[in-house]
Amino acid sequence: MITATQKPIDEIKETISPYKRVLVLGCASCVAECAAGGEKETGILASTLRMAAKMEGKEVTIREKTLDRQCVKDFVVQMDDIIDEYDAVLSLGCGAGVQAVAEIFPELPIIPALNTEFLGETRDQGFWVESCVGCGDCMLYYFGGICPLARCSKQLLNGPCGGSKDGRCEVDPEVPCAWQLIIERLERFNAMDRLEKIFPPKDWSKKQGQGPRKIIREDQQR
Amino acid sequence: MDIRKRSLALFYCQNVPQSGIKQRQALEKLYGPSIKLFPLPCSGRLEPLHLLRALEEFADAAYVVTCPEGACRYFEGNLRARKRVELARKIIASIGLEEDRVGIVMNEKERQKSLADFAKELMSRVSGLRPSPVLRPRTGFEDPERKQGDKL
Repeated sequence: MITATQKPIDEIKETISPYKRVLVLGCASCVAECAAGGEKETGILASTLRMAAKMEGKEVTIREKTLDRQCVKDFVVQMDDIIDEYDAVLSLGCGAGVQAVAEIFPELPIIPALNTEFLGETRDQGFWVESCVGCGDCMLYYFGGICPLARCSKQLLNGPCGGSKDGRCEVDPEVPCAWQLIIERLERFNAMDRLEKIFPPKDWSKKQGQGPRKIIREDQQR
Repeated sequence: MDIRKRSLALFYCQNVPQSGIKQRQALEKLYGPSIKLFPLPCSGRLEPLHLLRALEEFADAAYVVTCPEGACRYFEGNLRARKRVELARKIIASIGLEEDRVGIVMNEKERQKSLADFAKELMSRVSGLRPSPVLRPRTGFEDPERKQGDKL
């Protein structure tokens, strides 16, 4: 999932300050799972902003709504009937959600309330960790399901650096050495031979450098 | 000092001693519109939004009363409540509101207090707060006596 964290409240207040009628818009998908932009967080932010406005003597209308997904047009158009009631939308979607809403309502400022962080997994309650860089050419098979690009501090593809201690990364002892994990996993599956493959420098052209990436599936289109 | 001069939203675990309907009604009669009582099946049900909405809409302060630490019927409901209260305190502080407008009080294992004890203690505590600038943004931060019929 895509993870995110809320921007500082002062930054949010400043960015919505020109507007009198603001819709605080949550997203019930990834950012709800990472407790940044779901229905609960949307309610909390809207309530906080209303209180701040009252304390400053500002007369503003701040309401909240949460869509199932901000990044899918079919859900965003549910706002067609209410969008005219607002001067701006404060989005608690990820960067994709903010831009999708802006695409559908081009006349309206869509303001981000979150900083989109990374593609990650929920490791425990209240603990999310990056596990995928979205490189466009997944190599997890070779590495026993542990991605060295996301989880090795040096993004090494051809074996460990040799600097780890007690299975911990020398860059940050809090971080498990990805290569320690890779080797443990491959040994468990009796698949160490997969590491005999030599990987050339990563081809990042599948991730970036050619404008926004697209996926087109004709079988899924109307 | 009249301890009813501020409004309190009081959330409480239903396992707090003497916190049944009759006791609640008696407290509502005693303190009038200065207190609003919200029974919870467990304090772990409390969300930061409950506290914030209370402050936003009617309360000078919002508190939760829980079972003693280590004595939650559901094991860790009161510990969760404590974390959520802490988050609510940080949130209100971020907009310049005093943290003490939100709080948690845990009962004591050895000497359990009743809901009425907590209500009196907390009403007294919040009476020392200035009027909430959220509820009275235009009256400034003085301490005007609330007129009868004013929205709490």
